[in-house]
Amino acid sequence: MKSLAPIIRTVLTILLALLVGGIIMQLSGKDALNAYGVLLNSAFGNPRAIANTLLTATPLIFTGLATLIAFRAGIFNVGVEGSLYVGAFAAAWVGFTFTGLPALPLIGLCFSAGALVGGLWGLIPGYLKARLRVDEIVTTIMLNYVAILFTDYLVTGPFFVPGMANAMSAQVAEQAQLPRLVERSQLNASFILALVSVIVVAWLLRRTTLGYEVKTIGSNPLFARWMGMPVARTILLVMFISGLLGGLAGAGQVLGVHYRFVSGFSRGLGFDGIVVALLGRNSPLGALLAALFLGALRNGSSTMEMFTQIPRDLIDIVIALVIFFVAVEISFGWLKRRTIAAATPEAEQKGQADGLA
Amino acid sequence: MSFLELRGIRKTYPGVLANDDISLHVEAGEIHGLVGENGAGKSTLMKLLYGMEQPDAGEIRLNGKRVMIANPQDAIRLGIGMVHQHFQLVPSLTVAENIALGAEPRYGPFLNRFRLRRQVQALSEQFGLQVDPNALVSDLPVGLQQRVEILKMLYRNARLLILDEPSAVLTPQEVESLFGVLRRLVAGGCTAIFITHKLYEIMALCTRATVLRRGRVVGTVQTVDTTPSEIARLMVGHEVEAPVITEAPADGRRRPRLEVRNLQITSGSRRATQIDLTVFGGEILGIAGVEGNGQQELVEALIGVADGVSGEVLLDGESITRVPTRTRRERGLALIPEDRQTEGLSKAMAIWENLSAGDYYQQAQGLGVLPLGQMRAMAAGLLNRFDIRATDERVGVGTLSGGNAQKVVIARELMRDPSVLVAVQPTRGLDIGAAGFVQEQLLRLRGAGVGVLLISADLDELLALSDRIAVLFNGRIVAQFPRAAATREQIGLAMAGKTMSENIL
Amino acid sequence: MDSLDLIVNIAAATLRLGTPLILAAMAGLLSLQVGQVNIGLEGLMLAGAFTVVAVGFATQSVLVGLLAAIVVGMLLAAVFTLVVTRLKANLIIAGLALNLLVSGGTAYLLSVLFGTSGTFSPPDLESLPSLYIPGLSDLPVLGRLLFSFSPLVYMSWLAVPLVAIFLYRTVPGLHIRAIGQNEEAARSVGIPVRARQYLALMLGGALCGLAGAHLAVGDLALFREDMTAGRGFIALAAVYFAAGRPGFSALACLLFGLFEAVQFRLQLASSTPPQFFQMLPYLMVVVTLALISARKEWRKGWS
Repeated sequence: MKSLAPIIRTVLTILLALLVGGIIMQLSGKDALNAYGVLLNSAFGNPRAIANTLLTATPLIFTGLATLIAFRAGIFNVGVEGSLYVGAFAAAWVGFTFTGLPALPLIGLCFSAGALVGGLWGLIPGYLKARLRVDEIVTTIMLNYVAILFTDYLVTGPFFVPGMANAMSAQVAEQAQLPRLVERSQLNASFILALVSVIVVAWLLRRTTLGYEVKTIGSNPLFARWMGMPVARTILLVMFISGLLGGLAGAGQVLGVHYRFVSGFSRGLGFDGIVVALLGRNSPLGALLAALFLGALRNGSSTMEMFTQIPRDLIDIVIALVIFFVAVEISFGWLKRRTIAAATPEAEQKGQADGLA
Repeated sequence: MSFLELRGIRKTYPGVLANDDISLHVEAGEIHGLVGENGAGKSTLMKLLYGMEQPDAGEIRLNGKRVMIANPQDAIRLGIGMVHQHFQLVPSLTVAENIALGAEPRYGPFLNRFRLRRQVQALSEQFGLQVDPNALVSDLPVGLQQRVEILKMLYRNARLLILDEPSAVLTPQEVESLFGVLRRLVAGGCTAIFITHKLYEIMALCTRATVLRRGRVVGTVQTVDTTPSEIARLMVGHEVEAPVITEAPADGRRRPRLEVRNLQITSGSRRATQIDLTVFGGEILGIAGVEGNGQQELVEALIGVADGVSGEVLLDGESITRVPTRTRRERGLALIPEDRQTEGLSKAMAIWENLSAGDYYQQAQGLGVLPLGQMRAMAAGLLNRFDIRATDERVGVGTLSGGNAQKVVIARELMRDPSVLVAVQPTRGLDIGAAGFVQEQLLRLRGAGVGVLLISADLDELLALSDRIAVLFNGRIVAQFPRAAATREQIGLAMAGKTMSENIL
Repeated sequence: MDSLDLIVNIAAATLRLGTPLILAAMAGLLSLQVGQVNIGLEGLMLAGAFTVVAVGFATQSVLVGLLAAIVVGMLLAAVFTLVVTRLKANLIIAGLALNLLVSGGTAYLLSVLFGTSGTFSPPDLESLPSLYIPGLSDLPVLGRLLFSFSPLVYMSWLAVPLVAIFLYRTVPGLHIRAIGQNEEAARSVGIPVRARQYLALMLGGALCGLAGAHLAVGDLALFREDMTAGRGFIALAAVYFAAGRPGFSALACLLFGLFEAVQFRLQLASSTPPQFFQMLPYLMVVVTLALISARKEWRKGWS
C-alpha cells in the first residue's frame, strides 16, 4: 500500500454513487435511508447474510482477476463473459459425464476442464491480437455473444434434456457438487478457490518474470519489443490465464450453485469483472475488496426488493454510476500525470501506452 | 513601435519554469530567429503566442495594442499563423480541404468544392507555391506537406508566420526552397518568426535572432554583426569545445564487428532501403543524413524489430539476420535508441525495473521467480557507477531529468560489455554536462575495442566523434569519408543526394 | 404458402428487422468517424424503446412518444459525450456503463412508474401505422415489399444517404472526419472540436432513439426489459464489417436482418439450430477483421 489516497477516492466515488441512487429513490417516492438500511442488513446483518454476500462475490473475484491481469498487460479483454460460459459448460459436461469418478478427482477434473476450455477461448482473441494485431475489444465483445449462443445451442441441441422448463444441461454427479461452507447458504468451496486465486495472481504479477513482462508490456509495449521481450507469447499467456480465470468462475457457479449448466445463467458476471478490476484499481487485493462490495450490493438488493418494494434494478443504476465516477476520476489522475509529463522539456507526446490505471 | 512585442512573459508547468520573464520585439517585415537548445523554452513561447497555452504573467502586444490570445482562433483572427513541428494535417483529406479546414467556402451547410479549388489555386499562384488541390495529403512527400501547412496560414491571411523547426524534416534543397518562399513572403509584407537550433540557418535567413536558454532570453543579436560561435556561446552558456579524441587504435587490432550486407527493408509504405556498411572494433562509424532517410529502418533492422527485411547482418562474423531481438542482445548488440521515452525506457516503471529489462529473465530462479532484492541491489550499484542522480533505485524513471534518464539507458546497455553499440542521437535534448558524459562513454567503448555505430543529425557531433562518416540518403549509403577527409560541404552535398561517383562504396 | 409468398415474406421481414440495425449502425458510423466509438448504442436504443412506450402511453400519442425517444436518445448521448470528451473517461468503460445504466434505469422506471416488470404492453397504445397508399400498397409483390411498412422503415432508408451526404458533402461532416483522424490538427485551425463531437454523437443518439422506437412500436406496441438483445452490438459489427462506409454498413445490416428473418422461419421448418444464424453477424466480424489483418501481415512478411 503506497498511499491511502486512491482508497479514499474510491470510497468517495462509491458514496457519491450511493447518494445519487438515494436521490433517485426519494424522487420516486421511496424511503432511501430505509432501503439502504435493509440492503446493509441483508448483506451483512447475520452470518447467513454475510455468507450470501461472499457467495455472490465469488464469481466476481474470478472475473475481476481475469480482467485485471489482462488490463495490466494493456489488453482490453471484454471477453471474460465468453470464457465463463464455455468454461461453465465444460465443467458441467465433465460433471454429468464422468459420474463414476470419486469426488475429489471429479471436482478437480471439472475445474480443470472449465479452466482449460475458458483459457482456450481466451486464446482466440489473444492469437488474433498477438499474431495478427486485431483489436481485441471488438473481437472479445463479439465472441461473448458467440459463446452465449453456442452454449445455448449445446443445451437445446446435443445435450438437450427433455422435460426441463428452461434450456439447461443434466445435473452433475452428486459427488461433483461442491461442499457448502455455511448452513442455509449456498456459499461453497469455490469461494476458497477464489481467495487462493487472488494470492496466486498477486504473486504472479509481483514476483515472477511473467509479472515483470506484463508490467513492461502494459506500460510501454514498444519498449518491451525493442528490449527483445517475448511480447506475442506474453499476450497469449495472459489471455490464456484471463480466460482460465473466467472458466474457473463458470465452473465454480456450475459446481457450487446451479449443479448444471443453465443457458444464459451469467447475466453479466464477466462484465461485473470489468467493474471489479476498475474499482479495485487493477490490484488483486483491490479486486477482492471490490468484488465483496459488488457482491454485497447485489446480494442485499434482492432482499431489499422483497422488503421495500424497491426494484433491485436500482443497484444496476448505482453500479453504473460508480463506473462513470471511477472512470472519470481515474482519467483525471491520469490527466494530471500527463500534464506534468508534457511539461518536462524533452517529454514526447507520442507513444503513451497508459492503459487504464 | 514594434510589430510584435512580448513583455515579461512567464509560464510555469508543475515543477518546471518553462518561460521566465521573456521580453522580445519583432519588427514588421523581418525574419526573426528564435534559437536555443531543446528545452530552452522556444516551443512553449510559441504555444503562448498561438493561444494553445496561457501565460502566467506578462503581456503580448501586436502593433502596440495589448492582445489576449485565448485559443488558436484568436490567434488566427489576429493574423498569426503557425507551422507546427509535427504537421497538423488530416491525411485522408485533400490538399484543398486541409488548407481551408475550419474556414471553408460553403453554400449553406455544404462545402463549396468549386470555390475551394479556385481559391486554393489562386493562392498557390499568388505566392508561387505549386500544389495539386485535389491530391490526398497522405500521398504527398514531406516537403509538399510543409507547403500545404504554409498555404494554410496564407489562406487565413496570416501576417505573422511562426515556423517551429521547419527544417528538421527537410533535405538541404528543400530547406533552400523554403528559405526562398519565406523571403518572398516577407518581401510581400509578412513577418516571420523562425525557430531552429541550427546556427547556419539563422545566419542565412534571419535579420535578427533572439537566443533562449533555460527559459530566459540571453540576448538578441543582429545577424550581420555576429558569428555562429557567438550565438552558440549564448545558447550553451560557454564556449563549445569538441571532446578530445584519441588516436584511433592500431589497424592490426581492427576487425569487423558489425557487417551489414545488402540490407533491404521493404515493408508497407516504407521506402526501400539498401544498405551496406561495416563497423570495425575500436572505431566510431558516424551515419550522417537528414532525418527520415532510412535511419529508423536501419536501426529497426539491426535490432530485429522490423518486418520485411532481407540481406544479411553479421555480428562478430556470425549472422544474426534471422535471430530474434533477445538473442541479438545476448550476442553483444547494445542500443541507445533515438527516443528514450518510448523505445528506451518505460516511464511508468522504477529505475531498477528499467535497468533489469535486458537480463531479468536470466536472473529468474525456479518457476520464474525473480530475486527482487538482488535486482534492486544491482541497480543501486549501477546508480553509483553511472552517476545517475536519483534518491534511490525505486524512483520512477518518468520523474528523472533527460540526462539521468539517458544514463539509465546507457547503464543498462553497457553493463554487459557489448561488442557493438548502436547509438541514435544519443545527446539530443541533453544539457552540456550530460551530453559530455554520453560522448565520453562512446569514446571509452571505442578505446575498449567495441564497434560503435553513431547515427546523428548533428554534423558537429559526428565530425567531433567519428573515425569515419557515412552518409545515408534515400535509404542508401551514398558516400563514406575518413574523418581526415570529411568536410562539412562534402557531407552536406551527399546528404542532399549529390554524390561524386568516387565516394560511392 | 407458395415459395414466392415465402420469399416476399422473408424479404419484408428482412427490411423490417434491418431497420433498427441500420439506424443504429448510422449512429455507430458517426461515432466511429468522429473518433469516439460508441459501444453504448445498445443502451441508447433501449432508452428510445422505453421512452416511446412510456411517453406514448402517457400522452396517448405514439408520435409524441417518438419525439420523446429522439430527445432522450440525444440527451443520453450528450451525457456520454461529456463523460468521454471533457471528463476523459475511457470510451469502452463509459459505453458499458451507459448500457448498464439504461438497462437498470428502464427496469427501475418500469416498476416504479407502471408497477410491472418484464414486459409492459399498454392496452390502448397503438403501434405506428403502416404506410398505405391505395393502389400501390395493393400491388401483389411490390406492394408488400415497398409500400407496407411503418414510417420508421422508410426513415432508415433515408438515413443512409443523409448520413453519407452529411459526412462527405457538408462542412460539419468534413470537420467530423478531420477530428476523427487528427483531433489536434482540427483544434489548431479553430474547429470547435467539442461542439462537433457533441453533434456527431447526439445525431447518433437521435438515430438510436428512432431505432429503439422501431423495436417497441414498429410492429407491436410494447416494451420488454433488455428488448434490444444485443442489436446495438450487431449494428456496430455491421459498421466494422463495412469498414466504416455508410452504404455497405446498411447492406450489412440488411444481411444481418436476413439472418434474423430466416432464423425465425427455420426454427419451425428445419433442423439447423437457430443459434447458428444468430451467431453469424458476430462471427463474420471476427473473421473479417482477422482476414483483413492476415492479408496485411502476409503482405508485410512476403516482400
